[in-house]
Amino acid sequence: MMENIKEHIIEYMVLFVAMTGFICLLMIFRYNKLALLGVSGIGSVFYILWGIIHHAIRKRLTRTIAYEYILFGILVFLLLFTVLSF
Amino acid sequence: MPFNLFRKKIQENPTIIKYWRKNPKSIEKYQFIYHFLPHPKTKRRASLISNKAIFLYCSLIILIAVAFRIIPKFAPGVLGYASNINIKDLLEYTNKKRGDTGLSDLRLNAKLTAAAQAKAADMFKDGYWSHVAPDGAEPWDFILGQNYDYIYAGENLAKNFSTSKEVVEAWFKSPSHKSNLLGANYDEVGFAVVNGVMNGYETTLVVQMFGRPRQPSMVASVYEEKNVLEGQKSETLVAPVQGSQTSAAEEPAKVAIAPASPKVDVTIATKSISLAFGGFVGSLLAVDLFYSKKKGINKLTGQTFAHLFILLVVIAGIWFVLKPGIVL
Repeated sequence: MMENIKEHIIEYMVLFVAMTGFICLLMIFRYNKLALLGVSGIGSVFYILWGIIHHAIRKRLTRTIAYEYILFGILVFLLLFTVLSF
Repeated sequence: MPFNLFRKKIQENPTIIKYWRKNPKSIEKYQFIYHFLPHPKTKRRASLISNKAIFLYCSLIILIAVAFRIIPKFAPGVLGYASNINIKDLLEYTNKKRGDTGLSDLRLNAKLTAAAQAKAADMFKDGYWSHVAPDGAEPWDFILGQNYDYIYAGENLAKNFSTSKEVVEAWFKSPSHKSNLLGANYDEVGFAVVNGVMNGYETTLVVQMFGRPRQPSMVASVYEEKNVLEGQKSETLVAPVQGSQTSAAEEPAKVAIAPASPKVDVTIATKSISLAFGGFVGSLLAVDLFYSKKKGINKLTGQTFAHLFILLVVIAGIWFVLKPGIVL
């Protein structure tokens, strides 16, 4: 795992910085549900794109892997949406 | 396959073990463990975090969210938002925020409190959540309806919050509400904290009305403020139900200030569902990461570490950051 992270340090740094920004935006807009839904949507789409680009760069992108990132992106959005929509 | 069945088969035919060793696929369907662990031969994740399983979890979450929208239509008041908000704390936190910025304290005014109660009762009666009622009545109409002659007036609304502090914090974080909260043109304030059923959900509406009387001598005294607070404590606690409330003009003093406690607290339920699904998938991803490294399984899948990382970020966000409540 660590070897994999070291090998793709820039991609993981991008993900880490984006997720830190994501948490910061959640805190900034914590009382604005509409903005939070927008932030959640953008975060999910970012993750899907990150995953696809990450595998495309390594020439390991398959349809199954693309579906996997799309499904995980949808899952994290739904986890946030369930809490935010009520 | 249950253990006893294995033992029975071995007793019946001792050579079967050799057969199983040579043909592991024949008992693969009984290998329950691979629902939780990555498979060393197929080089796939545990079946409970396969693409099909994630699709199933997404579908289940959508179904639960839809059910939470439908239930209130058939059983109003079953779902709701538990709260413990009171006027004394709202006044205290409001004046603390003003004090922090060097502004004078607001006095609790009986007429503004009655106007706020009338507005809250009207919102439950007509089932709306807005500064302007469906019949066009504006906040000023409720204030003037209580014979409060003002030169400046304002209104803040909040619903679905759990505590008084959260309500004031939410107003403070919103620029338009903050300008009311810290308005130098206001001398007095009135609050209403009313429990009831809105759109099928049991909730607590909070109305905050600000004002400056035309005559400075009309500003409420400490004695009047104390009377209003005492009056709130001694009121009969009546939880208004949609469509069955008495109008505020007829009975403006009857306000429910008891803690709201619905049968199912939507805030806790939705948080629990999200954390349960997120925690379950996250745990299996963590096991996958550990087991794959230990057994040297090089899977042909997406990055487990990245999935786990984003799930942990989302779980942390849900647990620590996201709070219920809307301000208007």
